[in-house]
Amino acid sequence: MFTLGIDIGSTTAKAAILKDGKETVASSIVIATVGTDGVSQAIENVFRDSGLKKEDIQFTVATGYGRKTFEGADLQVSELTCHAIGVHHEFNNVRTVIDIGGQDAKVLSLNEQGRMVNFVMNDKCAAGTGRFLDVMANILHLDISQLEVEAAKATHPADISSTCTVFAESEVISQLAAGTKIPDLVAGICQSVASRVAALAKRVGVKETVCMSGGVARNAGVRTAMEKELGVRIAYSENAQLMGAFGAALYAFDKANTVNS
Amino acid sequence: MAIDELLAQFHEIATSPRKQLDKYLAQGKKVVACAPVYTPEEIIHSMGLVPMGVWGAEMEVNEAKKYYPAFICSIMQVVLELGVTGQYKGVSAIVIPSLCDSLKSLGQNWKYAVPDIPFIPMTYPQNRKPAYGVKYTKAMYERVISDLQTATGAQFSGVALANSNRVYNEHNAVMREFAEVAADHAITAAQRNDVFKSAWFMLKEEHTALVKQLIEEMKKTPKDESKVRVVVSGILADSPNLLQIFDKNGLKIVADDVAQESRQYRTDVPDMENSLDALAQKFADMDNCTLLYDRDKKRVGYIVDQAKKHNAVGVIVLMTKFCDPEEFDYVPIKRACEAAGLRHLNIEVDCQMVNYEQAGTMIQAFKEMA
Repeated sequence: MFTLGIDIGSTTAKAAILKDGKETVASSIVIATVGTDGVSQAIENVFRDSGLKKEDIQFTVATGYGRKTFEGADLQVSELTCHAIGVHHEFNNVRTVIDIGGQDAKVLSLNEQGRMVNFVMNDKCAAGTGRFLDVMANILHLDISQLEVEAAKATHPADISSTCTVFAESEVISQLAAGTKIPDLVAGICQSVASRVAALAKRVGVKETVCMSGGVARNAGVRTAMEKELGVRIAYSENAQLMGAFGAALYAFDKANTVNS
Repeated sequence: MAIDELLAQFHEIATSPRKQLDKYLAQGKKVVACAPVYTPEEIIHSMGLVPMGVWGAEMEVNEAKKYYPAFICSIMQVVLELGVTGQYKGVSAIVIPSLCDSLKSLGQNWKYAVPDIPFIPMTYPQNRKPAYGVKYTKAMYERVISDLQTATGAQFSGVALANSNRVYNEHNAVMREFAEVAADHAITAAQRNDVFKSAWFMLKEEHTALVKQLIEEMKKTPKDESKVRVVVSGILADSPNLLQIFDKNGLKIVADDVAQESRQYRTDVPDMENSLDALAQKFADMDNCTLLYDRDKKRVGYIVDQAKKHNAVGVIVLMTKFCDPEEFDYVPIKRACEAAGLRHLNIEVDCQMVNYEQAGTMIQAFKEMA
């Protein structure tokens, strides 16, 4: 049985096809804002790569920011539930999931069965999210993928406010004017995101094993800063950004089984 | 009248306060605005005046920002905004209680911002239960009576107050019964709120009669057992956009701890010889509210008990942004829910909110939780 999971985030669209809820047949990440053709591109990609057709898919679950407006799904499920399922599938000992996406951050608490039992989301603020990193990378004339490399070169990470993206932006400009080195600024920016989200995690209660998912998890600078901030090792998968889509496909598999039975 | 017709009537009244105000003015009645919370409506009613609630509007605040910083309760800001922009034209006075710091500033700002509508302060004691607290409450009620007489020319009598106390007690009982019936029968979160909100814009005897009809009709319908049962807590829970999310996700509000809804109906005026003493005693007897000082935070246990009693899966706190008293109470509520095995969720709300996307995701995730 093939199931499709689609995670329509604020800055990227992700799709994954699973066979029998176990084997990844195809996956795709397309950088595109919700409301654009990014979703259809991601879906086209997974069908092309798998050689499957729409009729081969038994059940489709949409998740993420754009889940409600996507018409091709059998069911819409919150991204929190999908990330919990996706991460538990990859690391079954995880009890805390930190999911930092393009415009929000969430911390999930899982029980031994991998079901979400508690969660917190950030308030309506870009600080501590992928958007914060985008804004900062733009000021520094860096590609978002370069932040990780630059942070690793830091010798004296700068202090950057974690309260507000707009304030932090002016702080970074002031630090640039004062001659602070780019790697030190980038490390400070990563620390700022980690500090903001760690505070959120402490509200739920941090239980090991802790795992990071979402696009920002790919940034080792933020992961390292988060480990320092929480005092725990962070589990990480190269598929961190696809956890929502995988979780959606797994949810679809369970749902299809329920429907069939 | 059929249920749909009754619910449509509640909705019309809940969403048309100005129409209600004009109706009472056209009848030659004088209307007194009641700011949150626990305004002694019984006194206003007993003097032949119409008490009318003035809180719960959703709008962008502009004029009130001249008097308030951005980081203050939006409920207060909206009340002042409506006053400054002339939306309460025709009202004879406004009574503003002093049960939180923001409310105190509302009264002070009102005097300067809306000089044509007299401000009547109702200063409640912090320690309301001891005899000296009850005495203080009574003295402040006497001040309200005196100010109302000056502002409206209406006269006070103890006999009339005794009658109004009975009218309000009956309304309390009817609203409590409605909440219980609504817990088990089909009614949306938005419709449930219409019934509570409309009470602010009607004479209580009129509202009681209408709610009684609704209760009788609802009792004839089959029980609604298909929903995820939740208890809602907060100061306000009346945003149509937010309540719609509850309904879309199949969540049913089976009990509330909301200041604008059930909190005010829990305590009746006791039967005492002097009706004003009795009203002061009622305030002393009130409990389980963030705005009523309680060192032991009994409210926390009360909320958990309500959730258990109504077989709810958890508690959703609609946290009014910048409301310190509510924020202080959230941590013990959260801990008590966890200890009791109840789900809990904290959603920040604001009278100026237009986008509830994040709240929608949180409510859906709450529903999906183990």
